[in-house]
Amino acid sequence: MRKFKSLLVAFVLVVFAASTLLAGCAKKTEEPAKQEETKKIKVGLVFDVGGRGDKSFNDAAYAGLERAQKEFGDKIEVKYLEPSAGGENREQLLRLLAQDKYDLIFGVGFMFTDSIAKVAKDFPETKFALIDGYVPDLKEDSNISCLLFKEHEGSFLVGAAAALKSKTGKIGFVGGMKIPLIEKFEAGYIAGAKYINPNIQVLSDYIGTTGEAFKDPVKGKELTLKQIKNGADVIYHASGASGVGVIEAAASQKKFAIGVDSDQSLTAPEAQRPYILTSMLKRVDTAVFETIKSMVDNNFKGGYKEFGLKEDGVGYAENEFNKDLIADIKPKLEEIKTKIINGEIKVPTSKKELQ
Amino acid sequence: MNKRFKIILLQLLTPIVAILFAVVLSSVLIVAIGKSPIEVYQTMIEFSLGRADSVGAILFNATPLIFSGLAVALSFKVGLFNIGVEGQYFIGAFFAAFVGFTFTGLPAFIHLPLAILAAMVGGVLWAFVPIYLKVRRGVHEVISTIMLNYIAYSLIHYLIADLFMDRNQKVPEGLGSPLIRTPHFAESALMPKLHGFLSFFGIDLPNYVYLNWFFVIGLLLAVGMYYLLWHTPFGYEIRAVGSNPKASEAAGISPNKIYFKGFLLSGAIAGLIGLSHLLSFYGYMDLDFPKNFGFNGIAVALMGNNNPFGIVLAALLFGFLNRGAEGVQTFMGVPMETIVIMQGIIILSVVVAANILGRYVKRLEKKEA
Repeated sequence: MRKFKSLLVAFVLVVFAASTLLAGCAKKTEEPAKQEETKKIKVGLVFDVGGRGDKSFNDAAYAGLERAQKEFGDKIEVKYLEPSAGGENREQLLRLLAQDKYDLIFGVGFMFTDSIAKVAKDFPETKFALIDGYVPDLKEDSNISCLLFKEHEGSFLVGAAAALKSKTGKIGFVGGMKIPLIEKFEAGYIAGAKYINPNIQVLSDYIGTTGEAFKDPVKGKELTLKQIKNGADVIYHASGASGVGVIEAAASQKKFAIGVDSDQSLTAPEAQRPYILTSMLKRVDTAVFETIKSMVDNNFKGGYKEFGLKEDGVGYAENEFNKDLIADIKPKLEEIKTKIINGEIKVPTSKKELQ
Repeated sequence: MNKRFKIILLQLLTPIVAILFAVVLSSVLIVAIGKSPIEVYQTMIEFSLGRADSVGAILFNATPLIFSGLAVALSFKVGLFNIGVEGQYFIGAFFAAFVGFTFTGLPAFIHLPLAILAAMVGGVLWAFVPIYLKVRRGVHEVISTIMLNYIAYSLIHYLIADLFMDRNQKVPEGLGSPLIRTPHFAESALMPKLHGFLSFFGIDLPNYVYLNWFFVIGLLLAVGMYYLLWHTPFGYEIRAVGSNPKASEAAGISPNKIYFKGFLLSGAIAGLIGLSHLLSFYGYMDLDFPKNFGFNGIAVALMGNNNPFGIVLAALLFGFLNRGAEGVQTFMGVPMETIVIMQGIIILSVVVAANILGRYVKRLEKKEA
């Protein structure tokens, strides 16, 4: 009975705690009026899970933010946030920024699609930019701008490059999470390789089925070694931070790796650089920068913005480390690029289309 | 009697002392990243408790953790470690999702309970394998449940991304990517929010707070579990087997039977964990469905000392920490990593303090006897 009493006390406390919490609800606190005189444009950015430091997608978005900060200096004020590990508070973070009167808010990654659509409806004065995601039925005067990339076009180019460089007639692809977005990279890559050499064999592997697949360099390394053992001598990855392992494995076997999203020759260790053939660039940084610029210039437009080869939104990387490496294939790549831009080559967008 | 009072007082004070200790320790961390601890804590508290939407968010955050804490605690009580709560709630959530998008045209009072029932069936199913292996083949449940968690993740991925993916999403040729999710659920499968009920008491929650009736169900479940454990013969058997299986066997209780029932019940509760999010916030199940509620449930159960009411309090603390984290991140610029460390310190302090206190109380009780 005594035990019962102490538990009763505990229960009363729970109810008490819950009711005081709810009592807090009843009071509506007013935000103190902000005495901001100089009208700065406030730019907020919410990363996807993983945040800065993935040397790939999120970092590219950050690079765009940084460039805008440098260029526009005191005209803008920036802030970036990162969701909790499960990512279930994306919507809450976007909403907090909107409530804090941010003018332009980025959601980095297609996982933000629904959250942005919901929050944007509640804050019609705030502008939102969504990277990689598609919100239906937007118009130019909508407050959402979807920044969409044609990754398949860039992948087509590096696929062609891989086929041109391959001596064994076998090349590899290591994807991160098995989702349509990554399969788009794969489809473009295979099509590009087959364009050069119809008989080429492409070995494809995916690291996993969860978001973890984008930060598992160990598995990336193992899959790459397996592909090399099976004869592949150029390996392209679309696996975010897992790609570090892919590049490491290729370099250790003196085979070529192809980076993704950012120019990975620049961030790789010195010893690995000679083995990075090129990188498929996805200019998330440009997209972020251009969107902020449109805010500063006061001509933000809603709707859909495409970033393909034509817009320089995707492409292949050329830098001081791989300049000589790709010198012999560059004319061919440029030729293909022109053909894609003027529509002579139609790049498949999914594996289904490829077959 | 005096001693009894002392024990209760100690039980109430320990978590508070532990939290204060954690606060001091975290302050060092905050100073190290060049912020003022006082400002950070002030922001955290004002932001979390001073706004209606924050309080609603805290209760919403706490809801799945109440269920998962209870599921884990029940298995602890029967003397088993159900590490598989994680996998069980994923399977449960998918079962509910399946009911949600498959049936249309059902009235809500049938559809919603059906979805909830399906979730429990899913949880029980996923709990059945490890407990069967344990009772019949002596396979340790920690190993089998951990492995089944991985299987659950991958199975759900296959079901969502291949079999049941919503292929009617509008995505233009070659641009963007469709979301990997099931079709939307019928309206009748969704759990109503608490807003209407609360406005009855003059409390107005903004409509973007997703606090719903699952919170109330969680509280009721805590009361129910308390009653079950301490006021029914079955509860007595659970506690007896949990504290000494051999002695209870000698007393005529079959431990294997109790293991079986207790574990399946734990699985049934686990099946409900994801529903508060699934049936009010999302309205579909996608690849990004929140993970880790199951694992956090272990921490919640430990912090709550396996007591249903302690679990509710621990879940509320977790909810508060998560909401506060959003606040200090947005308004104080404290990076996410720092906040995760702070949360870890607080949880660790409370668990350690509770353990120390538990031993001290036992010693006191022995002296008394």
